[in-house]
Amino acid sequence: MDQIGLLLDGFVGALTPAHLLWALIGVTIGTAVGVLPGIGPALTVALLLPITFRLEASSALILFAGIYYGGMYGGSTTSILLNTPGESASIIAAIEGNKMARAGRAASALATAAIGSFVAGTIGTVGLTFLAPAVAGFATSFGPPEYVALMAVAFTTVSALLGPNLLKGLAGLLVGVTVGLIGIDSQSGQPRLVFGVESLLDGIDVVIVVVALFALGETFARVMTGIGRSTVQPLRGRAVLSRSDLRRSWPAWLRGTALGFPIGSLPAGGAEIPTFLSYTVEKRLSRHRHEFGRGAIEGVAGPEAANNAAAAGVLVPLLTIGLPTSATAAVILTAFQSYGLQPGPALFEESGPLVWTLIASLYVGNVMLLVLNLPLAKVWARLLTIPPYAIYAAVLMFAALGAYAAGGTASDLIVLCVLGLVGLLMREAGIPPAPAVVGLILGPLAEQQLRRALILSEGDPAILVSGPITVVLWAAAVLSLLVPVVLPIVRRRRGTLAGAAAGSGRSGERG
Amino acid sequence: MTTVKRWAALVAALLATGALIATAPADDERADSVVARALDGRQLRIMAPAAPGGGWDQTSREMQAALRDLVGRSEVYNVGGAGGTIGLSQFVRLDGDPSQLMTTGLIMIGAIETNNSPHSLAETVPLARLTTDYQVVVAAANSPLKDMEAAAQALRGNLSAVSISGGSAGGVEQILAGLMAKAVGADPSKVSYVAHSGGGEALTTLLSGRSTLGISGVSEVMPQIRAGQVRALAVSSPERLPALPDVPTLREAGLDVELQNWRGVVAPKGITPDQERALEQLLLDMTRTTEWQEALADRGWGDATLAGPEFEEFVRTEQTRVAQILKEIGLGRS
Amino acid sequence: MTTDTNEQATAPPEPETDPACDRRTALSSLIFGGLMLVAGPVMVVDARGLPDDGSAMGPAATPFALGVLLGITGLWLLLRSWRELRAATRGTPLRDYAVLRVTALAAALVAFALLLPVIGYVLGSAALFVGTALLLGGPHGWRLYASGWALAAFTFVIFDRVIGLTLPTGPWGF
Repeated sequence: MDQIGLLLDGFVGALTPAHLLWALIGVTIGTAVGVLPGIGPALTVALLLPITFRLEASSALILFAGIYYGGMYGGSTTSILLNTPGESASIIAAIEGNKMARAGRAASALATAAIGSFVAGTIGTVGLTFLAPAVAGFATSFGPPEYVALMAVAFTTVSALLGPNLLKGLAGLLVGVTVGLIGIDSQSGQPRLVFGVESLLDGIDVVIVVVALFALGETFARVMTGIGRSTVQPLRGRAVLSRSDLRRSWPAWLRGTALGFPIGSLPAGGAEIPTFLSYTVEKRLSRHRHEFGRGAIEGVAGPEAANNAAAAGVLVPLLTIGLPTSATAAVILTAFQSYGLQPGPALFEESGPLVWTLIASLYVGNVMLLVLNLPLAKVWARLLTIPPYAIYAAVLMFAALGAYAAGGTASDLIVLCVLGLVGLLMREAGIPPAPAVVGLILGPLAEQQLRRALILSEGDPAILVSGPITVVLWAAAVLSLLVPVVLPIVRRRRGTLAGAAAGSGRSGERG
Repeated sequence: MTTVKRWAALVAALLATGALIATAPADDERADSVVARALDGRQLRIMAPAAPGGGWDQTSREMQAALRDLVGRSEVYNVGGAGGTIGLSQFVRLDGDPSQLMTTGLIMIGAIETNNSPHSLAETVPLARLTTDYQVVVAAANSPLKDMEAAAQALRGNLSAVSISGGSAGGVEQILAGLMAKAVGADPSKVSYVAHSGGGEALTTLLSGRSTLGISGVSEVMPQIRAGQVRALAVSSPERLPALPDVPTLREAGLDVELQNWRGVVAPKGITPDQERALEQLLLDMTRTTEWQEALADRGWGDATLAGPEFEEFVRTEQTRVAQILKEIGLGRS
Repeated sequence: MTTDTNEQATAPPEPETDPACDRRTALSSLIFGGLMLVAGPVMVVDARGLPDDGSAMGPAATPFALGVLLGITGLWLLLRSWRELRAATRGTPLRDYAVLRVTALAAALVAFALLLPVIGYVLGSAALFVGTALLLGGPHGWRLYASGWALAAFTFVIFDRVIGLTLPTGPWGF
């Protein structure tokens, strides 16, 4: 294949000391902004655009690619250590990852996230290298009806996230969808649930809600109950990733990648939906299902891989058809244009060497992130030995910075504060915050796509099942509803073997 | 070891304070120019009333680059959302500050009407129009609608069966869709308009074959037109565009419609006439820089420089026209 | 058999308190259910005020349905927590002045929001850090102030001076 030759040429371009330095700067800045909630790669690249006018095109694009991938890495670190997702795609990693950290396994959680991100990022980049045209074709076959069906799959599978108490999980989900509806309705231009408050017109940024419910909720709860002793267990074990951890992680990494890359390449797919799906898949398939909710390593490995594979997927429509499908992609497109490059079908022909250098530098950036993050896993994990009052004060400070950066006004901080109090109440009431975030992300997407579909068909609901992709997706949605009902019956029929396995699993936990 | 630990916080605090002072921006303003006097020696701040990546953000950042040689360092900040009306309502509070500029355009005029915004551009001082981006009506490559006449026929026949995908509700694309419906003698409120959060997303709905027509900025959809993925049916400019010489204007196709997605710059109310003139001159000087001309070429924007009373008059007529059509679409003020 | 019986448990056993019997949990659920019950009708009223845009599913459809669902779920949660509340044990007691501390933290955040343009990011953030740490029970002393200042100043240098994100400044430039 001549792609390999072109890619090798790209590596020759990317492996110059100057480009390596730009990649290093990029991933470092990216990790820093990924760690901070509210400040993401999109804003950072936009801010850095003027600086890079003095750089040559390839250096600038390598820097931006580094920021982009670095941001995806950085978000999971705070998720795992502090239960404060740095960006919305790392929310799921917080559920199991933070439980692991509290049990003294922070280093393992960070390591599985780092290696998983590396594996997924690399496979995603390979996909970008060799499958881009095919994936782009798949992505453009998705219209509103297909998205409605995809949302149905996502909604039917999130039950795994609802937690043990179904009523409370449902309450959380509904509250999330409600918050998601706030703002100007994109189909009719009408403000909904705004009540005349101007700063609500544009809706509430997902990251603000996430930071409020997770980080502020926790800080408020600690202020209320007193911190007492640190709830974090000291580090255990010598190896960062034990053999059994590795054995449990690698299938999850691969499954997460398989979900993340194609969905990430969808124009309205985003990086969050594959993480929800991956978590559900891991929970269903795991032999350690009893550990879910208490720190199961698969629950970190899968979603983190999905999130990073999706990040690579987002670049597919950008590079192949010139479609920016996320805020970051839109800003990177701007960067391309400021160098007189037009991403799109002709990009590879017109500026081939540059694009291949960029793709090669994605591989380089991935390796760099792994090299930076894996040895640091234990160092980061030590952060947890800082006294909790200092950790939570710093988290609050960064949350306030993020809220301010996202909106630039004081009223965003007041919204943050009110949502933080809601988060406290939810925590006290035992209502899990994860379903609220799921509802917040999926709810508005599903509503808009459904309404678009109905406008397209002049109100005929038959459009929702027109086309082969919709039929397959609806079938998957029905299946994912049926499997949890049917599977226990099948298991019961299988008799004592399964029961014995479950019993031994429980005794292992006691031991 | 314990001594180190005890003093670590103090040392860090001292280091950080040192870094704060060391990195403080140097005053590099050119003292004696007309502009510097008009700005009272302050640094120019440009508000992009939208999120990073959009048209206003791009315009502001290109301005920032082109202004570097004229006024030195300037600053761009984003106030996102609601078609720029959130940014506008913050901007009108900056009474009489000549160092504050805001990027604006047709989309904000539309959003002011659609969102029932309590503020309008009448509360600002329009300085200059800078760029324009015309709209193009496109169909999927395999669509049976081969040209604009066929599309106009379809609109005339059964308006609501022709779905049109484009950007946000009340935006340029929906305004054009409404104007087109009106031009064929149909009711603009019956247009099946499918709104999207961005041009890229709108294009995928067209590419997936679900919508009949798409409307998009010429610069946004140019690569797909060149690659043959979509077919350009007509452009919204008064004359054919150099970039698309084979594509007729809407007027040639029999629809008496013309629309440009212009972008310009306003200053807060309350600045003195001298300051206003100095800022206008600054922007005119900026449009003549090579950086700016290169930016126009790179982005595919048309040069639409217009300043002074002519621009103020232009803003007024646009307001009336946009308010009228949005009302007919059913989105305007009630 | 595939389950490894000797495998290390990954999590310590959670404290064995049944949340359903805790008075505080029940009371909080009750309040949350009550809030949902209030929010439901508010949403329905808000949705009724939206104009019909003539499409099959207008802007009001989702908020209307969601408002009804929210009301029903809220009522359900309310009734269930009411029952639980009567059967509840005392639960873990709260720290002294717990409500006052939460209010103080909320007030600190609001004060931070309002004072930010006046006193600038560094001073404001350092004060927020120290305030939160003290409310959380951190020890008084100059080291707390020094670390708050250092953290705020470093953040400002990285984000404002290096990356170029404009943060509010006080009269002294940071």
